[in-house]
Amino acid sequence: MTPDPNASSSGTVPSKDPKKKKGEKKEEDLSDEDLALKQQLELYVERVQDPDPGLQKVALESMRQEIRTSTSSMTSVPKPLKFLRPHYGTLKAYYETMQDSDLKKYLADILSVLALTMSAEGERESLKYRLLGSEGDIGSWGHEYVRNLAGEIAQEYAKRQSEEAPIDDLMELVQQIVAFHMKHNAEPEAVDLLMEVEDLDLLIEHVDSTNFKRTCLYLTSSARYLPGPDDMLVLDIAYMIYLKFEEYPSALQIALFLDNMQYVKQVFTSCDDLLRKKQFCYILARHGITFELDDEMAADDDDREALQEIINNSRLSEGYLTLARDIEVMEPKSPEDIYKAHLLDGRASAGASVDSARQNLAATFVNAFVNAGFGQDKLMTVPSDNTSGGSSSNWLFKNKEHGKTSAAASLSMILLWDVDAGLAQIDKYFHLSDSHIIAGALLGVGIVNCGIKNDCDPALALLGDYVDKDDSSIRIGAIMGLGISYAGSQNEQIRSKLAPILNEPKAPLDVIAFTAISLGLVYVGSCNEEVAQAIIFALMDRSESELGEPLTRLLPLGLGLLYLGKQESVEATAEVSKTFNEKIRKYCDMTLLSCAYAGTGNVLKVQNLLGHCSQHLDKGETHQGPAVLGIAMVAMAEELGLEMAIRSLEHLLQYGEQNIRQAVPLALALLCISNPKVNVMDTLSRLSHDTDSEVAMAAVISLGLIGAGTNNARIAGMLRNLSSYYYKDASLLFCVRIAQGLVHLGKGLLTLNPYHSERFLLSPTALAGLVTMLHACLDMKAIILGKYHYILYFLVLAMQPRMLMTVDENLKPLSVPVRVGQAVDVVGQAGRPKTITGFQTHSTPVLLAAGDRAELATEKYIPLSPILEGFVILKENPEYREEH
Amino acid sequence: MGQGTPGGLNRQGLPGDRKNDGSDKKEKKFEPAAPPARVGRKQRKQKGPEAAARLPTVTPLTKCKLRLLKLERVKDYLLMEEEFVSNQERLKPQEEKAEEDRSKVDDLRGSPMSVGNLEELIDENHAIVSSSVGPEYYVGILSFVDKDQLEPGCAILMHNKVLSVVGLLQDEVDPMVSVMKVEKAPLESYADIGGLDAQIQEIKEAVELPLTHPELYEDIGIKPPKGVILYGEPGTGKTLLAKAVANSTSATFLRVVGSELIQKYLGDGPKLVRELFRVADDLSPSIVFIDEIDAVGTKRYDAHSGGEREIQRTMLELLNQLDGFDSRGDVKVILATNRIESLDPALLRPGRIDRKIEFPLPDIKTRRRIFQIHTSRMTLADDVNLEEFVMAKDELSGADIKAICTEAGLLALRERRMKVTHTDVKKAKEKVMFKKKEGVPEGLYM
Repeated sequence: MTPDPNASSSGTVPSKDPKKKKGEKKEEDLSDEDLALKQQLELYVERVQDPDPGLQKVALESMRQEIRTSTSSMTSVPKPLKFLRPHYGTLKAYYETMQDSDLKKYLADILSVLALTMSAEGERESLKYRLLGSEGDIGSWGHEYVRNLAGEIAQEYAKRQSEEAPIDDLMELVQQIVAFHMKHNAEPEAVDLLMEVEDLDLLIEHVDSTNFKRTCLYLTSSARYLPGPDDMLVLDIAYMIYLKFEEYPSALQIALFLDNMQYVKQVFTSCDDLLRKKQFCYILARHGITFELDDEMAADDDDREALQEIINNSRLSEGYLTLARDIEVMEPKSPEDIYKAHLLDGRASAGASVDSARQNLAATFVNAFVNAGFGQDKLMTVPSDNTSGGSSSNWLFKNKEHGKTSAAASLSMILLWDVDAGLAQIDKYFHLSDSHIIAGALLGVGIVNCGIKNDCDPALALLGDYVDKDDSSIRIGAIMGLGISYAGSQNEQIRSKLAPILNEPKAPLDVIAFTAISLGLVYVGSCNEEVAQAIIFALMDRSESELGEPLTRLLPLGLGLLYLGKQESVEATAEVSKTFNEKIRKYCDMTLLSCAYAGTGNVLKVQNLLGHCSQHLDKGETHQGPAVLGIAMVAMAEELGLEMAIRSLEHLLQYGEQNIRQAVPLALALLCISNPKVNVMDTLSRLSHDTDSEVAMAAVISLGLIGAGTNNARIAGMLRNLSSYYYKDASLLFCVRIAQGLVHLGKGLLTLNPYHSERFLLSPTALAGLVTMLHACLDMKAIILGKYHYILYFLVLAMQPRMLMTVDENLKPLSVPVRVGQAVDVVGQAGRPKTITGFQTHSTPVLLAAGDRAELATEKYIPLSPILEGFVILKENPEYREEH
Repeated sequence: MGQGTPGGLNRQGLPGDRKNDGSDKKEKKFEPAAPPARVGRKQRKQKGPEAAARLPTVTPLTKCKLRLLKLERVKDYLLMEEEFVSNQERLKPQEEKAEEDRSKVDDLRGSPMSVGNLEELIDENHAIVSSSVGPEYYVGILSFVDKDQLEPGCAILMHNKVLSVVGLLQDEVDPMVSVMKVEKAPLESYADIGGLDAQIQEIKEAVELPLTHPELYEDIGIKPPKGVILYGEPGTGKTLLAKAVANSTSATFLRVVGSELIQKYLGDGPKLVRELFRVADDLSPSIVFIDEIDAVGTKRYDAHSGGEREIQRTMLELLNQLDGFDSRGDVKVILATNRIESLDPALLRPGRIDRKIEFPLPDIKTRRRIFQIHTSRMTLADDVNLEEFVMAKDELSGADIKAICTEAGLLALRERRMKVTHTDVKKAKEKVMFKKKEGVPEGLYM
């Protein structure tokens, strides 16, 4: 309920003025009928005060009749009410003198209605008389009355709460009002009232199969904006309602949102349909968490195996390739196909032909991003037809030193998710003596296994031994590989392998940094004490000069990832971080804060972070970069905060100094990842010509990130122009190339958006991967443009096909027509509004862009998940009749 | 001078300047690359500082806690922005710097400046301009001019010697349109209308409520009507009702007479209509009242003269503005005519004009009210029996009644009486009716 009682009687407002003017004039202004009515009512008022109870009763009865039957439009106060206005005081006075009787209650009812328009603000007389009245059907006086009453109850409740007065009588009324609202399609109002009186549990009794969906939708969307523990409460209720009506997929989503594994289990145990369970598994797989089924959840061993296989994502590659074949993009693309240099004026392309190492490295990345997951490309896999390892190695050896690491790892990116084929192809690199290539191969093993779980743990088996090698590049490769392949798994074995490295006194800084990140990824959002301790000790052991190194930033980040989205749980660690060397203290503080509140939309934290950004530093401190990124991480939770954060970032750009300005494009990229909004695109395009090359580089990479996997022609055009603009500047050109590769990520079939299920759920591993890459970009020159460019491969954690794939009951792809269009926010709307607009009909599998929603265009099948994204199982509709 | 290019100045850091600096070093080696600004037709809502100030829309429209929470969220962010900006201003006042930049820009612009017209944009930095006298020139556009706002046909400031574009004049609202805005509310209110209760209610539902309480319509799940047409015999109160709406509403009220939309030059009429609705959109919520719509809205037929064709084109523009490709937000349209049958059916179809409100001749009750309203300020002799006129069978419109009352007053005045007598009124009525029936005296051929 709106707290303002005036607002709730909204219909009466606009016409009051003229009516008042009318009333001020003499009575003879009234028409005859009105006059008659007025006299009639005056008579009733007099009669009510008559001593004869019989007469009283008749008078009250007819007064009630008059009020109820007056059909007024919504534009004006009903006439009887208007005419009774002057008598309100007399009736009230008379009421006080009356004996207790039915009649008195009758009068109270009428007074209650009259108070609707007459009682002074804050007096809550309507409620007072309602409680004294006969407690008849509440709806008989109309909606306006009920609304007003609800508003007054909310105020009264707050007052009584502070006075600790009993509320039983109120709650009874609340019951009635909620029942009334739920019956009359006013679910939001019922929910609002219950929120005000803090008794949402009542809702469960009142929802029925017709309105529970709308109720839950309202609850879940309110949850994002509610403060503190309320949001959890609201989601709990929504979860319970979904369970009650056996809407398990939605219940599962709420359980995942709450990150409550107990609830997830409950969903599995309360549903006994194998097919539906399979659908649950698809949802879990998309969310990217590790989840082990036990006997309770799936009794039959074979079934359990089948289900676990879905959770393990082992079919992802298959599905993705099906999509690619359907859309006919299997043909591999070379980097030149992406650069499209022929579209530029001659001069630029002429200069670009220099075969430098940097160029080749860029080409390697572009090739990897573009052909990700397709299993074939034009650089790395081609030669396998003729001579084994022929020109594949050739391309490999066109790269220098650490470049070879990235080149070797790029092969696995091309074979992404296809574990068997991937491992077989990577295997050949292990036999080479070059340590950089072996490092790349090790990293590659991790990439191939990204998001895929396998019972035999090939990644651990292969990488485990290399972790303790002497060569630091090999170690980094193995460590990164483990981090990527086991992200989010909280695997004990990994911890026991990696944690000791952090405390090795002789280990070089880069090894330690990557170990911290890998541990952070594996234990993302787990608040694991021991890992946290290990990283903290590692940080404390660093010498002053090491703390100044660019790579040191990965240590606090690894620590932060442990608490990703876990809000208050971070506090103990944040306390500890205050004892760090002051060089890293604030940086660590910001990183922890931003990670802990990532995806919560917590406004207070945004304020805090903005506060840090508003200082002007002189000592070359670096903590403002993560603070800016933090704003994006916190605000990305919901659309509204996102738009407002974009506005705030504009201000940062206006006032901030170099270290802030450099982080702003990256923050924008995180806010609009894989979602090229025109205004953000313009801002970034402007920044990409900035005089400060760091800002320009960040803006260029960000352009790639916002367009990641969209094939957006406008961004592609901008980047092409940038490539000719910067053709002399090798580092900027490198950034442009990477961005071009990102825009065509997976030839437009992939997305980097960590949000899925209609922007409801946030995949922690995906966010962790993105954040790691963005933090690395805060010092572009030292990390990405230095020898740690393979940090870009952390993006693989966020890569997901942006498809809708419908499968039949045997999990075989099934092509059905679907409508795909822009999603419309239908929360709180009356009736059954359409959920998408501007739709087109395709047949599955189809691609879904950011903000798109799909719905089945045929009645023949029933989807087992209300949200059509990723893999969706279709069941035949038994009631379907072929139309003739 | 400041009004020249606020867009270009307020944008942080003068992107144009910056970029040129950046490429200066390399300029010797290769020609400067194309800057990123996209020039062309102005994108009205997306661009400029005003667009950045636009807040995201908040759904649902219904008054509920979710909406409250969302609006509070927006407010929170705005408060943070305010805090941040005020902090920054305190720490590092921008004004001096801005002042410095501004004076530099003024230097570059030179003064005096001449006013010209942008004919054509050639490329990013060059355009063809024409001044009010003389030939057209091919000139450069200075980098600080906000190119997003340049479009062919707009008024620009030019350097007095080299004639390069140094700014643009932004106030491009047609003065014709700004006159239409009703600044002073008319005195007539709903209380001055006798009868017409149903019409008042209908117009309120269709025009006022959607602007004040859009959520009521959302609740029910309908789209509020876009406009209404008032039609009926002359003198039945159509314009009066529109005045009353203007009196009571807080929305911007634009009034036009159909004939105003007919202009001397080809294309001016449609342009005026476009301007009118654009202004209405800018000032929304607003109500556009077009009186005597039959001046432009008559049925289409094979027109022979250019003038007629132009009028038809004006109507076509009107059709498009009422329900065309671009959605009109909070703009409601009231049309008034007394010849609805001659209007083009396309104008009246639902979706453009959703409600047709008829104004019938007053019935006996209304007539009595109207007589009361008009005679309330007159001194009447005791023998005046208004009932006689009220009950008469003649077709009297509201305007006729007013005329009778005025006429009776004049007759009394002629004879230097202070009171109006029954005979006066009677004579006045005959006179009015005589005039109305074009010379056929009342009761002659009964």
